[in-house]
Amino acid sequence: MDRLREKVRNLLKDGKVAGYLGYIMKDGHPLPHLFTPARPEEVGQAIVAPGDARYPLDKLLQQLAKGYPDATFAVQVRGCDERGLNELYKWGQLDPEKVVLVGVACPQDQADYCECPGPWPSVIDSGNKCKPVLRSQRVDRIDALAGEAAFQEWMSAFNKCVKCYGCRDICPMCFCKECALEHPDLMSTGKVPPDSIFQLVRALHMAGRCIDCGLCEENCPADIPLRVLYKKGNALVKEMFDYDTGSLTTGLSPWKFLGDESTMETKPM
Amino acid sequence: MAEKEYEPKIIGFFCNWCTYAGADLAGVSRLQYPPNIRVIRVMCSGTVSPHHVLRAFQKGADGVLIGGCHIGDCHYLKGNYMTIKRMTFLQDLLKFTGFEDGRLHLEWISAAEGPKFAQVVREFTEKIKKLGPSRLKLAPKAA
Ligand code: SF4
Ligand code: SF4
Ligand code: FES
Repeated sequence: MDRLREKVRNLLKDGKVAGYLGYIMKDGHPLPHLFTPARPEEVGQAIVAPGDARYPLDKLLQQLAKGYPDATFAVQVRGCDERGLNELYKWGQLDPEKVVLVGVACPQDQADYCECPGPWPSVIDSGNKCKPVLRSQRVDRIDALAGEAAFQEWMSAFNKCVKCYGCRDICPMCFCKECALEHPDLMSTGKVPPDSIFQLVRALHMAGRCIDCGLCEENCPADIPLRVLYKKGNALVKEMFDYDTGSLTTGLSPWKFLGDESTMETKPM
Repeated sequence: MAEKEYEPKIIGFFCNWCTYAGADLAGVSRLQYPPNIRVIRVMCSGTVSPHHVLRAFQKGADGVLIGGCHIGDCHYLKGNYMTIKRMTFLQDLLKFTGFEDGRLHLEWISAAEGPKFAQVVREFTEKIKKLGPSRLKLAPKAA
């Protein structure tokens, strides 16, 4: 923690950043907070977000950047958050020149719980690297079900949806101005549970974009295993287009319309 | 009494420049194909969003057939690359969720391929007939 606070103090002192978006401990609650040069004393309360109290800082950063387009901000990132920033740069939602990373490596129990393949960012100011989890057993389990059994399992999950849109609203990667989930031509309106395709439509959008932060699943009041769906989407995108979601070295998203030519062939009937 | 065959509902999204013209040719050549297919003409197969496909299934389609120009022949150059990427992805996602992947099919059919058009529609209709009503249609709805 001292290392992290020291870095934040210096960043604010040098005037390199207009603020640091991180977490503060207030009245026993960890909350997202913007630390500014005007209140340097607060840095003493800066913390690393505990595993069970996280917020979509990447999303808050997008709002900050919109309000202050010329300012540079530092932001606390875990491995997933940094992948999120990378993807947002590619989609033109943030300017990499205006973001400074304050990195946190996740502990092993967090990485295991997330089945995270990259539990640390490129800059580490707190924590140490742990062992990544390269295969998702949750995805493997559904893969093994297949057909009717998989369908029943997903349907009973989807039917619990209360259509709160919490999954979308908390997602750091959901930045569209118009949302297909609310488009009356694409989705029935005014009914709960929503159309069975509701979660599939979201899965389509998240493929190659979801950075697997897990916030949607933690947030879902119906405990729908959303993450499994999006993990699979990313695995498919990797398999089909060799696209590593959230990596800066992997080129543009395969879903850019005028993107790469494809050598794929149609499946037999 | 003989059991009545299931008559599936199939939605076809066909590109104006190729498959739709191929359908026309099949028509003027008086080639026979089953009438289960409802055709929606689009300007390029690349304009068919996976949303449209999912929406069709939600609305009760038993099968969806996408028809586009052969690779290299798309009138908007790269449209059908998008088509194959999207539809292959959707096929696999549908499979993962148990929604039956075989109900979505993509085929390149040019304006000159009237007989191929009729054959693809015949085979696809046969296949969907065998599969019967889609799981999504039969799925119990929560109260
Ligand atoms: S958070 Fe859960 S209940 Fe809410 S809309 Fe998303 S899937 Fe449905
Ligand atoms: S895990 Fe959920 S909230 Fe996080 S990026 Fe993926 S879809 Fe969005
Ligand atoms: S114009 Fe026919 S597929 Fe693009």
